[in-house]
Amino acid sequence: MRLMRTSEITKRPVVTMAGDDVAQIKDIVYAAGGGRIGGFTLAGRGLFSGPLKEGLSWESVSALGADAVMIRDEHVLQPAKEVVDASRASGGSGANVLGSQVLSDAGVDLGVVRDVVVAVDSATGGHCDVVGYEIEASEALGTQGEKVLIPLPDTIAASGEHLMVPASAKEFVGRDLAGFGAAVEAFRAQLGGAS
Amino acid sequence: MLFSDAKGRKVVSSATAATVGKVSRFVVDPATRAVVALELKKTDGGDVLRWSDITAFGADAVTVADQGRIGDGGEDVKALSDKAHRVLGKRVLTSSGDELGKVDDVDFDPRSGGLTALLVDNGDEVTAGRLLGVGSYAVVVRDDP
Repeated sequence: MRLMRTSEITKRPVVTMAGDDVAQIKDIVYAAGGGRIGGFTLAGRGLFSGPLKEGLSWESVSALGADAVMIRDEHVLQPAKEVVDASRASGGSGANVLGSQVLSDAGVDLGVVRDVVVAVDSATGGHCDVVGYEIEASEALGTQGEKVLIPLPDTIAASGEHLMVPASAKEFVGRDLAGFGAAVEAFRAQLGGAS
Repeated sequence: MLFSDAKGRKVVSSATAATVGKVSRFVVDPATRAVVALELKKTDGGDVLRWSDITAFGADAVTVADQGRIGDGGEDVKALSDKAHRVLGKRVLTSSGDELGKVDDVDFDPRSGGLTALLVDNGDEVTAGRLLGVGSYAVVVRDDP
């Protein structure tokens, strides 16, 4: 399993198995209330190329690597509107979760979302899951203003304004991606045991 | 045999025993993982020699029946001769989207023209069986199983 910040994914080239770069990632389209990546909007390659009409749904991604997003060929691209609409239908805002306020279910403001951490699991055919947020911490975390990583449960409630997380997430806050995967697993195991 | 060793080798006509060109570049078909033609320098006229028209790719010279075999290569070779299909110097991506490095050299079998390995500048030797595609951005190779 590999963790990465979604901010690292934007601008990454979209490359076919034939080795051609057909686009680059413009924005991430979130689905399922911000719990999953629904797909990507795309921009053309090159200095002066703007946004493309085509988008890329997550199902069409062959692999999300450290240096490129791999697809089978350019025929898997589909209209960007379809990608956004499908993500919206799954309960996602279809919009960005960056800037949302993270509230614990105890009603405490934990901070503001600055980045999203996803896990790509090559063992399960490249399943991609949003496992945490990088937030600018509030006073409640005792590290105000610092950027920290907070794990997420499997499913979360999001309104576009707030994201609700269990209060116990506070105990699993991390500072860097190394070791954060273990924190996510420990957090989810605890949640699973409680229910 | 490495591309770097084979480059510059003279091409000799067996009909006249005259040197009719020098090997300058290799045209590779990623689908068959083989050299399909040689691009030549210092020729009279055409500059492409199809692999099937070569008599032998020897240690000291490439032999060809006669100079008439050197031409424009035909449409299929032309389509593989542009910059996007060159292998040397291109970045190598795995099918998982991770970059390994750049192609330093290519090893091939001088009898068949089949590629045997890509030599990557990080020291890796990628067997040619893993080659999936050669495009404008990268050479794509299958992940190590």
